[in-house]
Amino acid sequence: MTPATAGLDGAAGRYTGSRVHRVEDPRLLRGRGTFVDDVVRPRMLHACFVRSPFARARLGAVDATEALALPGVHAVFTAADLNPGVHEAWYTSMGKDVPDTPRPPLAEGEARFVGDPVALVVASDRYVAEDAVELVDVDYDPLPALVDYHDGPQADALVHERYAGNVAGSLGAPCPDDLAAVFASAAHDVSVTIHQQAYAPVPLETRGIIVEWSGEELTVWAATQAPHEVRMFLARLLGVAEHQVRVIMRDTGGAFGQKVLPMREDMCVALAARLLPAPVKWIEDRRENLMAAGMSRHEHGDLRMGFDGDGRVVGAYIDHTQDVGAYPTPWPVGTAAAVGMLFPGPYRVPRAGFRTTSVFSNTSGRTAYRGPWQFESVAREVLLDIAARRMGIDPAEVRRRNLLRRDELPCTNPNGMPYSDISPAETFEQALAMLDYDAFRRQQAEAREHGRHLGVGTCTYVEPTTTGMAYYGTEGATIRIEPTGTVNVYVSGGSTGNSLETAVVQLTADALGVDLADVRTVQGDTAVTPFGAGTGGSRSGSMLAGAVAETAGVLRERIVAIAAHLLEASPDDIELGESRAQVRGTPAAAVPLAKIADVAYFAPAKLPDGVPAGLEASGRHHARNPMIWANATHVCTCEVDVTTGAVRLLRYIVSEDCGPMINPSVVEGQIAGGTVQGIGGALFEHLAYDEDGNPLTTTFMDYLLPTATEVPAIEYGHVETPGPGPGGFKGVGEGGAIGAPPAVVNAVADALAPFGVEITRLPLTPATIVELIEGAR
Amino acid sequence: MGEIEIELRVNEAVTRSTVPPRLTLADFLRERCGLTGTHLGCEHGVCGACTVLLDGDAVRSCLVFAVQADGHDVTTIEGLDGPDGSLSPVQQAFRDHHGLQCGFCTPGFVVTAEAFLRDNPDPTDDQIREAVSGNLCRCTGYQGILAALRAAADAVET
Amino acid sequence: MKPAPFDYHAPTTAEEAVALLAELGDTAKLIAGGQSLVPMLALRLAVFEHLVDLGRVENLRGIERVGDSLRVGATTTQSAVERSEVAADAVPLLARATPLIGHVQIRNRGTVGGSLAHADAAAEYPAVALALDAEMEVLSPTGRRTVASPDFFTGLWSTAVGDDELLTAVRFPVWSGRCGFAIREFARRHGDFAIAGAAVAVELDGDDRVRRGTIALFGLGPSAQRSDPAEAALGGAAVDDVDADELGQVAVASLDSVPSDLHGSSAYRRRVGAAMVADAWRAASEEARHG
Repeated sequence: MTPATAGLDGAAGRYTGSRVHRVEDPRLLRGRGTFVDDVVRPRMLHACFVRSPFARARLGAVDATEALALPGVHAVFTAADLNPGVHEAWYTSMGKDVPDTPRPPLAEGEARFVGDPVALVVASDRYVAEDAVELVDVDYDPLPALVDYHDGPQADALVHERYAGNVAGSLGAPCPDDLAAVFASAAHDVSVTIHQQAYAPVPLETRGIIVEWSGEELTVWAATQAPHEVRMFLARLLGVAEHQVRVIMRDTGGAFGQKVLPMREDMCVALAARLLPAPVKWIEDRRENLMAAGMSRHEHGDLRMGFDGDGRVVGAYIDHTQDVGAYPTPWPVGTAAAVGMLFPGPYRVPRAGFRTTSVFSNTSGRTAYRGPWQFESVAREVLLDIAARRMGIDPAEVRRRNLLRRDELPCTNPNGMPYSDISPAETFEQALAMLDYDAFRRQQAEAREHGRHLGVGTCTYVEPTTTGMAYYGTEGATIRIEPTGTVNVYVSGGSTGNSLETAVVQLTADALGVDLADVRTVQGDTAVTPFGAGTGGSRSGSMLAGAVAETAGVLRERIVAIAAHLLEASPDDIELGESRAQVRGTPAAAVPLAKIADVAYFAPAKLPDGVPAGLEASGRHHARNPMIWANATHVCTCEVDVTTGAVRLLRYIVSEDCGPMINPSVVEGQIAGGTVQGIGGALFEHLAYDEDGNPLTTTFMDYLLPTATEVPAIEYGHVETPGPGPGGFKGVGEGGAIGAPPAVVNAVADALAPFGVEITRLPLTPATIVELIEGAR
Repeated sequence: MGEIEIELRVNEAVTRSTVPPRLTLADFLRERCGLTGTHLGCEHGVCGACTVLLDGDAVRSCLVFAVQADGHDVTTIEGLDGPDGSLSPVQQAFRDHHGLQCGFCTPGFVVTAEAFLRDNPDPTDDQIREAVSGNLCRCTGYQGILAALRAAADAVET
Repeated sequence: MKPAPFDYHAPTTAEEAVALLAELGDTAKLIAGGQSLVPMLALRLAVFEHLVDLGRVENLRGIERVGDSLRVGATTTQSAVERSEVAADAVPLLARATPLIGHVQIRNRGTVGGSLAHADAAAEYPAVALALDAEMEVLSPTGRRTVASPDFFTGLWSTAVGDDELLTAVRFPVWSGRCGFAIREFARRHGDFAIAGAAVAVELDGDDRVRRGTIALFGLGPSAQRSDPAEAALGGAAVDDVDADELGQVAVASLDSVPSDLHGSSAYRRRVGAAMVADAWRAASEEARHG
């Protein structure tokens, strides 16, 4: 094995690019992880929220007398107690200048959805806190609610008084006349409205936070994707200095966007902690999580796409409207623009336009969820299949005629998105080849003759990862080579299952030429790690690689200088590997890193001139690109039982281009996890409300996550186009959840094509499939 | 409401405690025994994260009251690895096959898998899927978990 | 999500349990495996001042062949049924229904008596009991009585077991002769409560005519129920003359309180129910004919 000489050259590294065992696993497999609910503090109290049972109600008096009389109850806080404690409440990731939507800690004046936190009970344990919640008497005066955001602009009810027509904001423009003219003169002018239901991230670990105020320092244990954002946000919230706040997270049990920002409950707990004599823990229960931790995906698009006589796209327009619930987190309007801007996708689309409108409703607020803009793919890819059938061309063929080819790249899409370093045509062909598309079509035809309904669907998308903007634009690392030669790497963290510890250890071992076992990493403690934006936007791989490279580069230079001095060789002849430095070609002339470290710390007199004592450095990577593009193709086949409407997924193939892989197992794990969430969204998951605004799916008996018996084996294909950032790495965290819903929908639609069915509404429950078939008959 | 004295074996150690009847076995293990590897993902008996062995059978510890476990034998995730901290074959298979990501559901899967493979040393792929269908995972898409069980079963067989 | 406080009682005999029920009245609830009850307690959808645990009542557990019936103690776990060769041999329908209940962790705690006494409309065991004409042994403060399965299920989550009574065992008749049994159900996911399901038991005479044929439906009303019209259609019919799909239609045609929810309308459930009856009939009659 050649010692690594070029630390971050993805494929060439000793560990980078290989399926090394995860460093997180031993503690997690043995039940010795530390999730927020595992943390116990002396005298710790437990919090539970009183939540509105009404979708909309005027709030009268809160009578806590009985609750406070219950032994073990310490306090019952209302909005009057907590809300005045807010100094500032804006997110670093969004900046303070966005026209943010309301987000009071406890509901003020009016409760705006079922689950809206109205009061906070603090007691000696969660059992007693729940007893006390039942004893808090809130005077509710129910008001007419706006449950369905479709009704928002016309509704008499206003979710927030100062937002006319319940519109939180709008971007883009109505379809311009010249684009409308393109459609009107196109050989095929395809209009369709596609609806997506509300579903949610649903991490297996719910939200949770412990806040301890010492009078000078606020210490916070949190389930979070971004400990430094939690720190900055809470410091501003409470009006204390950033360095008075320490946020610690070790293990977080999944997040997928839901834990990217502190939400209203976190604000309440932090505000309450200032008023309590002891630390306070809040662990959300599952009912709260499904009722109040936010929803995503609820939106629709009025779509129009024009094609010429050969099925080539001549123009595309989306008028997008999304439900943002009562209290969206964060400001939802800007994110929604991505739906419009990415709607043309990886296709050659000469003309395009979009408008996006965010509408409030008296339901759980919209939150970030893995590929928050994924509706662009749902809309476009489902539309393409519908258009293909209307034109009488195979859906794969329509895509083949329109997909961007390598010789057309880089290029800018008609909405201004600057695509580069992508391979949509290649992933498409690879995925179809893995399936043997033509063979499947033959099998399908044969099956149809026997009354069986098979279908195939695809989705090809292009995805911006690793945004280089503002808060997300830099990432730091500190590396300490300890006096014994072992290595600790400090990065901000925020790993929620995405293996950031393993990735950083791999990257550092290669960058310094040390053995994997000699490297450990410290993450998720703002007191000791450099600032970083945490997990989000598929950024961690690239940004951490940059941070490690930046920092390790400084140390390599120092190690080489010391080694050269000790070995009496030229620095140019020193190579590093296997935790030692040696003169190239002369294995006998070598010095272990432990010896170099020993000299660096304990014998500074032996150091060459100009080399500082110690082996510790900090560096910060600064992203040079506004984003790094990734792309993939999903192909799904299914069989539909037209009697029951049951869908059985047969094969599932993902061909993706995330550039070189730091760890293929981690990449595939991200793809599979996202894909199964997308399958859930297409077939099972629905955060539903009745017409009065009562949530119908607040347990796992009603909110259906896919289980091992519902998911197919996932097959992976890789195409590797290095991106412009460190190591050529691209993001891969979100794509699975983007590509899967349209692939599954298209597969079902393909199976049902003989019935003349067009699918425009998710989710595809067995009952809705039967309804579609019956409706078409 | 009277508290009740109980005595049970937890990971082979005799444990005595006085508990309110409503304390779930899951909370007893986490709060009274400090065995926080047993996780609570739903507290209503669907997600499987709190699975432990009760007299050798995989059960949801959120649906058992600690008082009901009086006199019985409980094994948690912390009781499955070797005395030297080495991973059990099932745990090792999860590691080898990327069978975990965030690790929150993992103890429930591992405990379920240990009991399943003990009782079904030569399972089919469908039996493996069914065996873990009472455990929810949101990170892995189940791919690595199913591969881990397959590998652990094959290792037992040979 | 923590249960409200309650007092806990752990009787060691059935008589003691019944005496406790008589003493505590409707503030008490029996708990066996707790797989349906504890979630309701945790969600505080149900609150009781007293729980009377049957877990330590020894003589309520066990599976034995008694003459021409299989007697299953009320606190016998579903897993014990699943593993029982005696049960599989004597009452194949019971054995085949068991793996459809929830998941392994549920079956390891969930009991036969608990499932019957809880009487969920979409549960499997009530349908099995109905299809086989099982008899329930009930202990009350005044003595023992036997309840035939049609009299046992009285409506939504309700049975003939009184507040001060205890279901102690179930006797499933062992069908002999040229018999076939099948249970089919459709659920959103494996292990979920069924959207609709059917259990069919059939005995043929030497000429392939139906000597005895029963059809029990679940998920299609407030409780499991026998389909009288479909059974009437089977009476004395030659197997070859029975159109399975038609039988399914007949079974659901006259149902009048089919539930409707997020997972499907009444009409959808009927459609699925008909398909389940048809499938179950095909499998059961095939088995009766060919063994």
